[in-house]
Amino acid sequence: MNKDHRLKEKFIILCLALLFLGSILSIKAQDKKDFPFPVTPYILEENGLHVILSEDQSLPVVSVVVAYDVGSINEPPGKTGLAYLMEKLMFQGSENVNRMQHMSLINKVGGEFNATTTEDKTIFFQRVPSNQLAQVLWLESDRMRSLQISASNVEQAKQALIEELNRMKESEPYLRSFWRFDQLLYSSFAYSHPVAGDEEDVKNLTVQDVTDFYRTYYVPNNAVLTIVGKIDREKTLEDVKKYFETIPEGKETPLLPFASSPVKETIVESIEAPFAQSPGFLFGYRLPSPSSDDFYPLSIIEYILLEGNTSRIRKRLLKRERTAIQLSGGIEVRKELAVLKLFVLNNNTLMAQRSKKAIFSELHKLKTNYVPDEELKKFKNMFKRNYISKYTSSQARALFFSETFITRKILLNPSEELEKFLAVTPFDIVRVSHKYFTASSIILDIKTK
Amino acid sequence: MKAQNLRKIIVLFFLLLISTDSPLFSQERFRKTPPIPEPLPTLELPEIHYRSLPNGFQIGMIQQESHPIISLNVIIFSGESSSPQELPGLAALTANSLIRGAAEMSSSQIEERIDYMGGKFSMSIHPDFTLLSFTFLEEYLDRALYLVSRMLIQPILLKREIDTVRTNLYYNLFNKRDDPDFIAERQLLRLLFKDHIYERSVYNDDVLKFLTQDDITSFFNTHYRPNNAEIVLAGNLDFDAIERKVRRFFGTWPRKEIKHPTAPPPEPFNSTKVCFIETPGAKDATIHLGNVIVPPAHADIFPPMVLNQVLGGTPNSRLFMNLRESKGYAYDASSEIEFYKDCSVFSIHARVRPEVVESSIQEILKEIESITNEKIPGLEIEQAKSHLIGNFPLQIETFDNLTSKLAEIKAFNLGDEHWERYYENIQLITSEKLFELAGKTLLSTPAIVIVGDQDIVLHQFGTFIKEVDIYNKKGIYLGTYKFE
Repeated sequence: MNKDHRLKEKFIILCLALLFLGSILSIKAQDKKDFPFPVTPYILEENGLHVILSEDQSLPVVSVVVAYDVGSINEPPGKTGLAYLMEKLMFQGSENVNRMQHMSLINKVGGEFNATTTEDKTIFFQRVPSNQLAQVLWLESDRMRSLQISASNVEQAKQALIEELNRMKESEPYLRSFWRFDQLLYSSFAYSHPVAGDEEDVKNLTVQDVTDFYRTYYVPNNAVLTIVGKIDREKTLEDVKKYFETIPEGKETPLLPFASSPVKETIVESIEAPFAQSPGFLFGYRLPSPSSDDFYPLSIIEYILLEGNTSRIRKRLLKRERTAIQLSGGIEVRKELAVLKLFVLNNNTLMAQRSKKAIFSELHKLKTNYVPDEELKKFKNMFKRNYISKYTSSQARALFFSETFITRKILLNPSEELEKFLAVTPFDIVRVSHKYFTASSIILDIKTK
Repeated sequence: MKAQNLRKIIVLFFLLLISTDSPLFSQERFRKTPPIPEPLPTLELPEIHYRSLPNGFQIGMIQQESHPIISLNVIIFSGESSSPQELPGLAALTANSLIRGAAEMSSSQIEERIDYMGGKFSMSIHPDFTLLSFTFLEEYLDRALYLVSRMLIQPILLKREIDTVRTNLYYNLFNKRDDPDFIAERQLLRLLFKDHIYERSVYNDDVLKFLTQDDITSFFNTHYRPNNAEIVLAGNLDFDAIERKVRRFFGTWPRKEIKHPTAPPPEPFNSTKVCFIETPGAKDATIHLGNVIVPPAHADIFPPMVLNQVLGGTPNSRLFMNLRESKGYAYDASSEIEFYKDCSVFSIHARVRPEVVESSIQEILKEIESITNEKIPGLEIEQAKSHLIGNFPLQIETFDNLTSKLAEIKAFNLGDEHWERYYENIQLITSEKLFELAGKTLLSTPAIVIVGDQDIVLHQFGTFIKEVDIYNKKGIYLGTYKFE
């Protein structure tokens, strides 16, 4: 699965590179497709940095996102927490930017910034008045080319990370249950270990570990730069080239470890959450890769079961039968692996049993009865609205392109993609329910003291 | 000797090679300093088109092309301060009951309809106004207008549904009962708004049980009137069609004159007062302090906005740099200005180590002294202004933010000028002007609220803090401690 993915990625890069030869400055890939707004992808020939520019002239504001194709999945055993540590270090200064300067510069111009690290991506986000775009490019390019990785910087970031880890452990009584459930659901170490890392691992990280990780993954050929807002495309492209073109290309990033083979049988385990107030359970299924066609009906099923107060499982457990006191969940994607996850809290274990029974019965209903047209329309409308919201404001659009590009390596046309979700039929839903909601469910019962 | 020279030459040669040719080691000059920003772009604010119906209902419309979602907002110019003095919480209970039944629709039918339109619905209750916000897919405009008009004209206020809303509101407050920021913020507002109508917005969970179905009906009949409301729509709109549709759905909404409660603005504190609320075992101490300043419609509101930025608007501001970065007392320290119709509240918040509460308060007051009694360096003022000006368009980029800003402009009587002259008003502020006005803000004699563990916090007082009023979490006065 993974090799395929890499091949596909290489193929796309090759295509883009070939197209590049056709024009002097840059390539313009998507001419035919009908995007609901202007957007142009580029690739810098010198170092393989992908660039996506999209104009939105409504307000003098610009959103800039640099996304790296790296997350906790890329951490080797014994070195967990590296990706998240890197996120912190990226604000600690680089050759020409002082420790507090990134933050103070963005604040001074009235901008906002943010960063997130997940299992499969690291994203740096800033939103500034449009006349300050060059400042952000200056900041982002400097930390991409010359991050300051000193013993004291690393030590400070490690301390901050351990503090955060301890706070998480104190405030989230179900944390260990979540971690255990991920191990069961994703099986392999790479996909299942927590982003925040293991305390012992973090303590043992060295300057060399950090330097190696930085040189491997935080390189232009492993990143995409997205700029959305009030911009002049030609001028912006010139600036991008000025700041990013001379950053040397990194080596090819190492192949990801194979995701483990699919679960074939039911797994049931239980765990004690000594500080938790209510018992409950985690419930899940392995789903096909997000690039599979079955993912479209499964995404609609997620809505039918769990989105909003009128969804089937929420309504039944929280309103009609009142067997659960809290319920959350949905589809979760880590690279090529996708899962359906539910977290349910109950007043007692009897209620937990009844909740599980109700969930199974709802899944069974999906296999045996067509979802009525009106109901399907409702959930598609909810899906549509949320999907549209992902690209209407310029900040949302910058994130949409960065995230989809990092995971799928293509410039996704949101209106075309949306059509595929909206084309799902009642029959598709029955078909994929049969295929994936089999006996191979994974359940972790959570007991209190 | 010769060999050594040769080695020198080779080394020199390589050094030369490295410094000129290799991109890894050479440094392009433009990287050394941040680029000079381009001139500030002109800000064209979204134009609002107004129409009105004979019953007094105002319609505001904002055109946003290529936006397949419509945002519909109704501002009711009555908020929690319109609740009768003995019935605080009534405005909130009324507003939240409207979604629980209207015309022929039950609460679950309304929920189904909202979901069907791809809708998101929310109600927010401010002391001065109530804001209904509804966003949905543009193809459902008619259905959305119908639904909202029924809620506002023909609500079905069943006792059973009201009880559900009451329980939800109760648990919203109950769940936050141990949150130190929530406790401190509310106590500060209770002190600042004592005996003013705004005090009604800081009610406790236990008052909700006294509100009856009749109270709600009566509040609804008095305040939910077209002449006390305005609808604002944003999206890809045809203005004439919108006006026709709004007339069709809201034209029969009967008007009725209403009298808004009027009261002189709350008096600022002119001598410092310290209060303490115990949260046993708390790891940190939370400090909220502040005072009442001029309302947002007043011309003198802009200098405090700049002062706020210098003092605690961002992590680069003085409070954070002093209390956290330099002294290591605090995890966080910041300041903000909250706007109301009759006044504004300038407040400072800090979460500190419990054993340094008194020193932290002293440092905060020192920072206040320094911005009020000393001239602020020009560069710092320019940075603060640059933040305020740069941040302004960011605040209105999304529909939600834009419409809540609009609601404030309307509810606080800021007038159209507020939009148009915002940049200018900030630009005009000079060091002298700030110096002149800073003393007037009375920030140096604030009300101070401390929330934390009594055993650690109280025994450190005495050198600077001589007297502390003790309150419980619900704001009931328990007694006064005097320190020798």
